[in-house]
Amino acid sequence: MIDLWELFVSFGRAGLFGFGGGPSMIPLIQVEVVDLRGWLTREAFLDAFAFGNALPGPIATKLAGYVGYQVAGVPGAAVGLLAITAPTILAMLALAGLYARYRERTALQRFLAGVRPVVVALLALVVWDFAPTALAVAPTAWGNAPLLAIAVAAVVVSLRRDPHPALLIVAGGLLGLLVAP
Amino acid sequence: MATRLTTDPAGRAPTSPPPGAPPPLARRLRDLALAFGKVGVFGFGGGPAFIPLIEREVLQRGWLTREGFLDAFAFGNALPGPITTKLAGFVGYRVAGWPGAAVALLALTLPTILAMVALAALFARAHDLPLLERFLAGLRPVVIALLVLVVLGFAPAALRGADRYERAWRWALALGAFALAALADVHPALLIVAGGFVGLVVARRT
Repeated sequence: MIDLWELFVSFGRAGLFGFGGGPSMIPLIQVEVVDLRGWLTREAFLDAFAFGNALPGPIATKLAGYVGYQVAGVPGAAVGLLAITAPTILAMLALAGLYARYRERTALQRFLAGVRPVVVALLALVVWDFAPTALAVAPTAWGNAPLLAIAVAAVVVSLRRDPHPALLIVAGGLLGLLVAP
Repeated sequence: MATRLTTDPAGRAPTSPPPGAPPPLARRLRDLALAFGKVGVFGFGGGPAFIPLIEREVLQRGWLTREGFLDAFAFGNALPGPITTKLAGFVGYRVAGWPGAAVALLALTLPTILAMVALAALFARAHDLPLLERFLAGLRPVVIALLVLVVLGFAPAALRGADRYERAWRWALALGAFALAALADVHPALLIVAGGFVGLVVARRT
């Protein structure tokens, strides 16, 4: 019971103080899990993180569920997941409720007119930040050519056929087995 | 709605709901589970891959407009905590209330939590698995390509304006925000709020 409460507090804290999405919360989760509570050793945590990164799905909730399970079984996993997600989902719904109520106000319209270009810039920033990891793995341009070819092929296929992104992602992974540097 | 259903000319119970009515709750929950299940299971590589997946599911099913998606993404970025789960909770709640929020969240997170718990014992050192590394290396360029298309898809909704002045300040704001984030590492949440205030000041009253 004390374990569950500690899980709730630790992952709740990581969720509430981690701005910038799941990946930015990893250091906070590490402090809680390794330094404060000693649930996992540093090595075990880093292994879990590396393994979690290789699996699909949100990373913060994977760690919360995994650590929760290690500490207190299935109830622990449930508490970890709930603690890291529920508070901020509630905040999101509260904000969305205000948005729905005042949507017709012109001041809010003008505010959002300024927010949306920033969001597009932030989406472009994800491309900017992520491109080196995705396209520049090998030390030479020649070595990276297959990756660039996959990216170009994905754009072409997407524009022509518009398949579901999941299909393209899996196809890219399978191609990677053959040609990745 | 009920009055419309009982005015069937033959007095029979209608066999299908009137056009435009939302599908029954069970159908909506199933759709949410499928949509966010796909996002969770195919969202490799952390944050970036979720964006094209969620965009596809949510826009194609008509749960959000492009503007609505941008706004939800802004709220998600401005608040703390994981962003994908916030989007799932938000969309789920819009589509089917509290059960919808719960189903979307669980569909997104549960499959991979189970995979992690089940497989961690077997592959405690997954980063030493060369095949997995190659699989991930091959799909990352696809994610980049999809993201570029997402940016191009959303740009018109964010940057269009009634006239030259309205377009110009939106473009300037987007480029300025990008430069501040990429070069000066200014936090996204701060940029979103600042962008809103810029809009309040410079957007023309209509």
